[in-house]
Amino acid sequence: MTIKKYLLTFNPEIVGDPVTYRIVKDFDLMINILRAEIDEQGGHLMLAMEGSGPQIQKAVRYLEDAGVNVQELKEFVRKDDVRCTNCGMCISICPTSAYQMDQKTWKVLFLNEKCIACGMCIDACPPGAIRLRSQD
Amino acid sequence: MRRTYEEINEKIRRGDAVVMTAEEVIGIVERDGIDKATKEVDVVTTGTFGAMCSSGAFINFGHSEPPIKMTKIWLNDVPAYGGLAAVDAYIGATEPRQDGNIEYGGANVIEDLISNRPVRLRASSYGTDCYPRKDIDTYISLKTVNQAYMYNPRNAYQNYGVATNSSERTLFTYMGKLLPHYGNATYSSAGQLSPLLKDPTLRTIGIGTRIFLGGAQGYVAWEGTQFKTNSTMKNGVPSSASRTLAVVGDLKQMSSEFIRALSFKNYGVSLAVGLGIPIPILDEDVMRSASVRDDQIFAPVLNYAIQSRTRKPIRDVSYAELRSGSIEINGRQVKTSSLSSYAKARQIAETLKKQIAKGEFLLTQAVAQLPEERIQGPLDVHSQDEVR
Repeated sequence: MTIKKYLLTFNPEIVGDPVTYRIVKDFDLMINILRAEIDEQGGHLMLAMEGSGPQIQKAVRYLEDAGVNVQELKEFVRKDDVRCTNCGMCISICPTSAYQMDQKTWKVLFLNEKCIACGMCIDACPPGAIRLRSQD
Repeated sequence: MRRTYEEINEKIRRGDAVVMTAEEVIGIVERDGIDKATKEVDVVTTGTFGAMCSSGAFINFGHSEPPIKMTKIWLNDVPAYGGLAAVDAYIGATEPRQDGNIEYGGANVIEDLISNRPVRLRASSYGTDCYPRKDIDTYISLKTVNQAYMYNPRNAYQNYGVATNSSERTLFTYMGKLLPHYGNATYSSAGQLSPLLKDPTLRTIGIGTRIFLGGAQGYVAWEGTQFKTNSTMKNGVPSSASRTLAVVGDLKQMSSEFIRALSFKNYGVSLAVGLGIPIPILDEDVMRSASVRDDQIFAPVLNYAIQSRTRKPIRDVSYAELRSGSIEINGRQVKTSSLSSYAKARQIAETLKKQIAKGEFLLTQAVAQLPEERIQGPLDVHSQDEVR
């Protein structure tokens, strides 16, 4: 089983298509919607797909053929471990507990697989150690 | 038993002193008891690394040709105070950049200097017969300036309140981002490693005490601003913000590992200062305080949605509970974050321990004690007659 996260961008022409339903039904994938902002102007849908690797690949191809822009989110935020002072401000801000305090070393661990790319941590980090990957 | 500063320093010079961090000594006291631990251990080292807004540095730039009496001064566009003779300035940590960008300020200038990065100096003047020049625009670095020393009016707060937010909107404060509806709680003390919590009445810390400051050897200069002694005590330790220190140290000896500019959204910049103090174990009482644990140290939880200086605490929590990752507020578990780095506090206590063990850091007896009693007054709006 594989889990991959994607950011889907829709144009206004295809917001009416039930693409999530098709991914579930036709490709037998488990979908977890992380964020959705869609209206008649188009929008974004961030989701995690869980299933076999080849099925996920097929689903991505289906989405692209349907006119959806598909971007895999491998690493949305990046923590600069030199800049980070391990204070832990990010820990209580993160809604999915992607930041955790190692209770032995008192250093902050970032668990990328838990990150839903909400961006809440970015302006909360006092030494400015967390950045959007797109800002690199 | 009694032990003197001279005896301790003699042991340090011989390389025989037994030095432990404030964290390590907790286990020793639990195992051996206070009396035996007092006999065994000569020095306990402490450390803290957190946002200390009341910080800054004095700099002497040297004289230009022809000379200038700088009246307005900017360092990387951050205003510095120049009402000090001709080429002395004070750069305050929380001063924002002139252009209104509050994400870069005095703290960043200080970090840039410590990191040996060039800093742009601009200054202007009205010109005098002895200082004819009216402006200058140049670059300086820590290498080019004559003196650069940190003088922080208020550091090392003895305990501090825990911040939370009952309101409907996210608050951006100097205690970090506070999520609505008690969405989180933030705290800012190293607890059982924090210097002034380990010597609560400042028996061994006073004017002239040598300390670890930003990686250099610094000194306690004075009582810190807002120094306060009338706090409620729990387990022999003040259970809210109490004493503070004014400290001084050479910027040229400091390291960016222990001095870091911080930026708090919508609040502005602050400076994370790494500070550590060795506590000489003079007798059992000093050891008893130095071995106080996180579960014995308490802090008040304050609701920052109330924008007033008279906030009543929601409850008191121990640092053990804060450090567990969540605290209970109104029957709900609320996630906690520290603004002070425990990992850095530990690193500072360890560094100080090594320096003392190697004979590089000798202990000092205070030249004068800090006030035994001090209350903190408010600022109210008065007429001239009321303040006479």
